Amino acid sequence: MNAAVKPRILIGKPGLDGHDRGAKYVAQILRDAGFEVIYTGIRRSPEQIVDTAVQEDVAAIGLSLLSGAHLALFTRVLELLHDRGADDIVVFGGGTIPPKDIPRLKEMGVAEVFTPGTPARQIVAAIDDCLLHHSVM
Amino acid sequence: MDARLEQLIKDARSDGSCALRAAARLMSIMTNQPQRLGELLAGSRDWPQPRLVLGVTGAPGSGKSTITDHLAAEFRDHFPERKLGIVAVDPSSPFTGGALLGDRVRMMRHASDPHVFIRSLASRGHLGGLALGARGVVRVMGLIGCDTVIVETVGVGQSEVEIAQNADLVVVVLAPGQGDSVQMLKAGLLEAADLFVVNKSDREGADLLHQQLLSMLQRQRLARLDLASTPGEPMTCGGPMLTGPQGIVDERATPAVRVALDNETPPVFRCSAIKHEGVAELMMELKGLTDRHAVDWQNRRKGQTIEEIRLAVLEEVRRRVSDRLAPGRKGYEELERATEGNRSMAALVDELLYEAAAAGRGLQSSGC
Repeated sequence: MNAAVKPRILIGKPGLDGHDRGAKYVAQILRDAGFEVIYTGIRRSPEQIVDTAVQEDVAAIGLSLLSGAHLALFTRVLELLHDRGADDIVVFGGGTIPPKDIPRLKEMGVAEVFTPGTPARQIVAAIDDCLLHHSVM
Repeated sequence: MDARLEQLIKDARSDGSCALRAAARLMSIMTNQPQRLGELLAGSRDWPQPRLVLGVTGAPGSGKSTITDHLAAEFRDHFPERKLGIVAVDPSSPFTGGALLGDRVRMMRHASDPHVFIRSLASRGHLGGLALGARGVVRVMGLIGCDTVIVETVGVGQSEVEIAQNADLVVVVLAPGQGDSVQMLKAGLLEAADLFVVNKSDREGADLLHQQLLSMLQRQRLARLDLASTPGEPMTCGGPMLTGPQGIVDERATPAVRVALDNETPPVFRCSAIKHEGVAELMMELKGLTDRHAVDWQNRRKGQTIEEIRLAVLEEVRRRVSDRLAPGRKGYEELERATEGNRSMAALVDELLYEAAAAGRGLQSSGC
């Protein structure tokens, strides 16, 4: 165990919307907070995202969604993680997600949802907290 | 070797659903725990190895990731049954330690291909263009059956040529707009090339770059022959000079995709990776070289293992010593005393090394 190694985090956008300002901004915040961020870009399938997460051995996946398809896409990502024996990867999300859907997402297993306007420090603190007990090899 | 590691190795070699996960975990151990390298090397001695480890290097934005992506596509077309590994290194911030690893964005079409395994690495302060543990990651790719592994370095300047000791072949990617012909004369990166790619050949300035590169190679070749000849005896040029239609003198000629001055001079490929031009030719060249030299490379890699252990030893020393020099630690106070002239540096170094050795004794039994 080496305390100097910060966890790796995947940031990506599943689905069809191409507005990546939010995803890139969160990637930048996390980079500046000392994380190693694997950025996958826009319009990725849940399969591409999960396969990437497994190959990169990330501790967390952050998905940005502005399309309204968050319930379907998060469900699929969580299913695929389960199929690949990677349930321990923390999944969080952000974007234009209606507050009424947040409890449902959390119930499904999404650790945190950051809606527009969430301060950067709050995002970093929440992710640090989620990953506190995640062992880095 | 501990039981957990053995299990990971067994899982990585299996066909099971957790094979990829296990391989990825092994790669993390390789990059995060250099102090275990001895154990890992002993454990990996009988692992299968890739036939070709190809380095792709060049300046930031010269098109390394795009070339890598198109080579991968070409490889998959040619060898549908073979596996390919890609290791892509991007820089860590020297200010925060964070990193944005974005090489994958260019390679996403291979993300769900079961025959392609891509791993991004952050350089973590390592300055040679690679990341510590990159070789270990390549070794794990061998373990899971990769026939070829492409190692893409960080965007390099002039002297980050560590890739030369870590790959069987090095492709240096150049793009127009990066300097005049004096740049071509400088030592370093250009000497590390086994092959050159003049990328973005559809852009303005590509012809000029192509010519400058060929004239540099011509000059280099003459210098090599000149230095090897005995004074007083006539020098043999060992082949025709490059003045023909494919060459650098006749500016009206359309430059060929592949130009090689002789067998000892790196061939130059003109590519437009984004248009997939010249990539098939490059792939065929790599295939030919691999078929001829794969056995020699296997032997050469054995010698490189010593270098790998040397680096891991240095890294462990660096890490233990810098721990002791961090603000708040006793070593930091000693540094302050040294600035005031109250401490001899030689004595301080001795003491740090002594303490670092003591700290190591507690490490030996640690697992992961």
